[in-house]
Amino acid sequence: MNHPDMPKSAAQRHFALSRRRFLRGLGACIALPAFESLVPRSAFAGEIGAVTASGRPLRTAFLFFPNGAIPGAWWPKDAAADFEFSPTLKPLEKLRNSIQILGGLDQKAANGGPDGAGDHARGNGVFLTGVRIKKSATDIRAGISIDQAIARQVGHLTRFPSIELSSDAIRTSGACDSGYACAYQFNLSWSSPTTPVAAESNPRLIFERLFGAGAPGERAENMRRRQQEQRSVLDFVLEEAKGMSRRLNGRDKEKLDQYLTGIRDIETSIAKAEQFGSPQDPGVETPPSIPQDRAQYVQLMFDMLALAFQTDSTRVATLLLGHDGDNRSLPEIGIAEGHHDLSHHFNSEEKIQKLTEIDRWYVQQFARFLQTLEDTKESDGSSVLHNSMILYGSGNADGNRHTHSNLPLILAGRGGGVLTPGRYVQHGGKPMSNLLLRMGQVMGLNSERFGDSTAPLADV
Amino acid sequence: MFPVALRNALRLGGLGYFLALLSTSAGASGADRGAATFHREIQPLLQEFCSDCHSDGAKRGGVAFDELNSDDAILNNPTLWLKALKNLRAGLMPPPRKSQPSDAQKRTIENWIKDAVFRVDPQNPDPGRVTVRRLNRVEYRNTIRDLLGVDFDTEKEFPADDAGFGFDNIGDVLTLSPMLLEKYVAAAKSIVTRAVPVVPLVPAEHVVKGKAFKGAESLEATRTNKNAATADGLVLSYYEHAGVSNQVHVEAAGRFQLLLDFTANERFVDNQFDYNKCRLIFKADGQELWQHEYTREGGKAFHYEFDQNWAAGEHTLALEVHPLTPDQKQVRSLTLRLDSVTVRGPLESTYWVRPRNHEKFFPRPVPEDEAGRREYAYEILTPFVRRAYRRPPAAVTMDRLVALAESKFSQSGKNFEAGIAQAMIAVLASPRFLFREEGIEVATSEAPIAGAFPEVDEYSLASRLSYFLWASMPDDELLRLAGRRELRKNLAAQTERMLADRRAEALVRNFVGQWLQTRDLENIQIDARQVFAREAAIDGDAEKRRARAAELRQKGEEHLTPAEKKELDDLRATFARRFSRPPRAELNGDLRRAMRLETEKTFDHVLRKDRPLLELLDSNYAFLNERLASHYGLTNLHVTGDEVRLVPLPEGSVRGGLMTQGSVLIVTSNPTRTSPVKRGLFILDNLLGTPPPPPPPDIPPLEEAAKAMKEKTLSLRETLALHREAALCSSCHNRMDPLGLALENFNALGMWREQERNQPIDVTGQLLTGESFTNIRELKRILASQHATEFYRTLTEKMLTYALGRGLDYYDVATVDRIVEQLQATQGRPSALLAGIIGSAPFQKTRGFTPAAESRATAASQQPIEGKTPL
Repeated sequence: MNHPDMPKSAAQRHFALSRRRFLRGLGACIALPAFESLVPRSAFAGEIGAVTASGRPLRTAFLFFPNGAIPGAWWPKDAAADFEFSPTLKPLEKLRNSIQILGGLDQKAANGGPDGAGDHARGNGVFLTGVRIKKSATDIRAGISIDQAIARQVGHLTRFPSIELSSDAIRTSGACDSGYACAYQFNLSWSSPTTPVAAESNPRLIFERLFGAGAPGERAENMRRRQQEQRSVLDFVLEEAKGMSRRLNGRDKEKLDQYLTGIRDIETSIAKAEQFGSPQDPGVETPPSIPQDRAQYVQLMFDMLALAFQTDSTRVATLLLGHDGDNRSLPEIGIAEGHHDLSHHFNSEEKIQKLTEIDRWYVQQFARFLQTLEDTKESDGSSVLHNSMILYGSGNADGNRHTHSNLPLILAGRGGGVLTPGRYVQHGGKPMSNLLLRMGQVMGLNSERFGDSTAPLADV
Repeated sequence: MFPVALRNALRLGGLGYFLALLSTSAGASGADRGAATFHREIQPLLQEFCSDCHSDGAKRGGVAFDELNSDDAILNNPTLWLKALKNLRAGLMPPPRKSQPSDAQKRTIENWIKDAVFRVDPQNPDPGRVTVRRLNRVEYRNTIRDLLGVDFDTEKEFPADDAGFGFDNIGDVLTLSPMLLEKYVAAAKSIVTRAVPVVPLVPAEHVVKGKAFKGAESLEATRTNKNAATADGLVLSYYEHAGVSNQVHVEAAGRFQLLLDFTANERFVDNQFDYNKCRLIFKADGQELWQHEYTREGGKAFHYEFDQNWAAGEHTLALEVHPLTPDQKQVRSLTLRLDSVTVRGPLESTYWVRPRNHEKFFPRPVPEDEAGRREYAYEILTPFVRRAYRRPPAAVTMDRLVALAESKFSQSGKNFEAGIAQAMIAVLASPRFLFREEGIEVATSEAPIAGAFPEVDEYSLASRLSYFLWASMPDDELLRLAGRRELRKNLAAQTERMLADRRAEALVRNFVGQWLQTRDLENIQIDARQVFAREAAIDGDAEKRRARAAELRQKGEEHLTPAEKKELDDLRATFARRFSRPPRAELNGDLRRAMRLETEKTFDHVLRKDRPLLELLDSNYAFLNERLASHYGLTNLHVTGDEVRLVPLPEGSVRGGLMTQGSVLIVTSNPTRTSPVKRGLFILDNLLGTPPPPPPPDIPPLEEAAKAMKEKTLSLRETLALHREAALCSSCHNRMDPLGLALENFNALGMWREQERNQPIDVTGQLLTGESFTNIRELKRILASQHATEFYRTLTEKMLTYALGRGLDYYDVATVDRIVEQLQATQGRPSALLAGIIGSAPFQKTRGFTPAAESRATAASQQPIEGKTPL
């Protein structure tokens, strides 16, 4: 594998070494063309969605990093095709032709307005929903998120309609941001205004969900057996749920509806297993649970995402790298202070410098992931990255002031040829929902509006 | 002592809750009377004390009382009046510098709000409504433990639960995503597989625990390993030669399997690695069966199996560890923990035995005939479902379940046990297990008043009790009493019994862990070096070196000149040297654990010994072990050993009480320094119950502070003082900062310190309510004497929230007031608190679905939803 920013110091080299045990196998898998057997059959050819003009699977992922970015170090000087890479975005330089830097996109619904404080809850909760979230600790109300809207439309094409990942496993106790329910701050994906889709944060569990538990070679059989046993269980619990539902009311019914939705999803996945056959075993050892080392953890989550795309297990994904307001320190790059504490930097040069290093660190991980997708070729020679749309961004623009205009956003991939990367484009104050709508439409979303969109974003 | 007091307290309330006791002047007050009182008594008071900011065109905080222009607008706004009540009681409104109403006038307003707006009906208080609760991670784990005897690690397997109002057991926010449901179904399978044997006979197994191997001392196991299996392991270092062995005796000759289980562990050290290797050799009767080299494996568990043909008699199992890298630095304490060697056999079926647990689930032999089997299935499954659902199952449920079991065990090659196991899996995946379904008591002729809110049925009450006190399912006794409808009659005795049970530790652990955030201790990062650096003299050279390294890194390594590259490498080497020296204290696992236990045991002590709750604020004892005592600099107390226990403090000690415990001091710190603001906020929010509103979204005055900072390094106190000059900030920071600054003698690791950045620390201050203090001891005394009522109310509200699984609303004010009165009357006895909560209307009753009550609450608590519905 060829990564843009391979760690250099001895200590860092060792991260790479210990990861190699897992990645050695994965590397072999990445070198292969994406699995032929899972390319949608002709039965689907007439349907719209999640397929490129050349018939390759079209994927989209939404990646979120916490607390915004130092604007001065993020934005290149001139919005043009020949822009010069800024300090923060430097790690993406080798991928210049695969990315576009999007300026001038706003999430107005995340501004305080009548709701006052709570910019981290809003930055996170509005990012993919584009609606004003209800300020309440318990009465949760956001909107469906773009990934879930897309998954509703094209999810039937793959084994999993979508996957939701997070490299932010630890919750703190106590209340969350300023009277907002914690759900807003820890979830990117919402399947309905009242149902956040919890993300999986354990690499081992994601892997087992995608390919089955057990050693290489045994997984497909394990998965098949498990699903068979689930059938009789599902019949029973469905009857129980109906019995229970008759006695419930209002809010309670909402909870039970979530249960029933989950049951239907399992049934669908069993049906899909029959339709698609067993998943292709990647032939690598199952990855470990959450590593203590932050870089290793984030990279492993990216690896899981890459694997899901390569195997065409899904075409829609979200990854919460860290929730908005995340206060973890990054001892790996010598930063002992908490990220959120630093982000209110009082214009201290030292703090701004450290924040820039954190921003750059996240971009580095992102670049590494893009390189993996670029190095994976499909049977027609195009790369997985070519046939993807990967949005990377944060729900706050300037973390110091909690602004939600001119958000730091990067769109990677060509969407199978419909996008024109290699540029820095200034969109001049349009809703970010316009971008989400445009991405949705490219994926096959049959809708003219999303969140607070005014029109699908042009010139992307 | 506690039990007696509790019994009295609950008896006092008896079954009539606080109906007869409720102090009230309301009687049958109607809306008309409420309005009349408002115009006659309340409006003049508002005019006198509030109009400067809240009427005649002024609308501070969005509140203008003269905009309430009809009786309806006045009386039907409980949300507004709840805020007014809270601010009035906390002494926040009117603000301290303005003229103040007399105590009698305050009471007039309070009573009017409760009677006329909240319309508390003392005969039939509104119990509110709890959304059906899903078991959270903790409850699920405990329930599975009590139901099946399996410890299922939900923290690893399930995503974190969302929290609301500071707790993770709030029905409204406990959502269930498809992924979680998928995990529940998978968990059901894996739990039942572990608990229930699905075959009648298996080869015998003899487990030889690691500890049973002799020949080398076990290194002390890491204390964070909780379960018994790890405690039974034998821990061997990578760095030392070791040979251990054990003799086993087998009765009969035959084919055997040896199962070797071990784990390779390390102690995590930031940014430092350990390149050591060792070879592990496994032998049986002197013959080598396995050898392999191990490097750092990150806690991975290994399992190997070997086939053996053994004669009857003695056999020797042996393990050897050989270090392979004597010259490598030993950084991470690499260890192999031998968990067990299992001898399975003889494998020939004539020697097979009943599997472990078989008798527990299948008490009698399985009948041969179909009808007999079906009957046996009912016999086994009915009590199981009753426990799992926490109430008797419907007949139709049992019929379906037995049919499910039958469909499996009537398949060829499947036996009865496998069918029962499959049915149990279905039960654990059922919504009736995952959610706590509640029912109401069927109305009897004894019902006191028509239209009264119904009591929850006794099974629901059993669950409410058990999940409150144990965070787990009701046990057999509770279910038995509920079945006979005798639980309410025996509430005091049952509560007492439950509190004496070990399972009650869950209340302390979960309630305290979230109320005081001690749960977060496990994961919090504090950089000890940076903390100590603030206390040492300022090292300008080190700052410069850091800045230079950052500058070079920023350029990107590929763009550096060879000279710059060398410079960067040298700088890194300097850092590495500095970092290889350990700081004088580190927040490691032992210390985290001791601190968590200190806080938990303090609360546990007060609770179980029925000590005055004010001891939580100020006491002359602490819970310490050797490590913690030395961390606090209390070596003169001569606390030795690992056990965290009660230690009397000398006169004038700064410790004693929650505020100066390491746990609280650390969770309110930033990773590199203390945060007086966070500490002040913590005290206001969690101890005094008057959290300030969150900061405004845009904070321009910070820029001013920043300008000043460029000229001179300000102390935290100075920075905060600057901050408070801005009117926007002062109203809240005047409340937070004095409290937080009073704790500045405690660094971000909770250790005592006299100076910061070469400056002595000034902890004097004055509370907004007027009291001055010169040190933390005085502040504690002030809070425990002048602010006891606020503390009682706060603790009551927090615990009631936890007990009910919902946020409190205006209709709960009467319940809370009642409990606070009881606390005042009993000098703050925990028994009064618990009895008050358990006996309260919201704990005993439910609003059910009375349409009138539902609609009024909806109008009050739900605001219109802004934003558009997408798509």
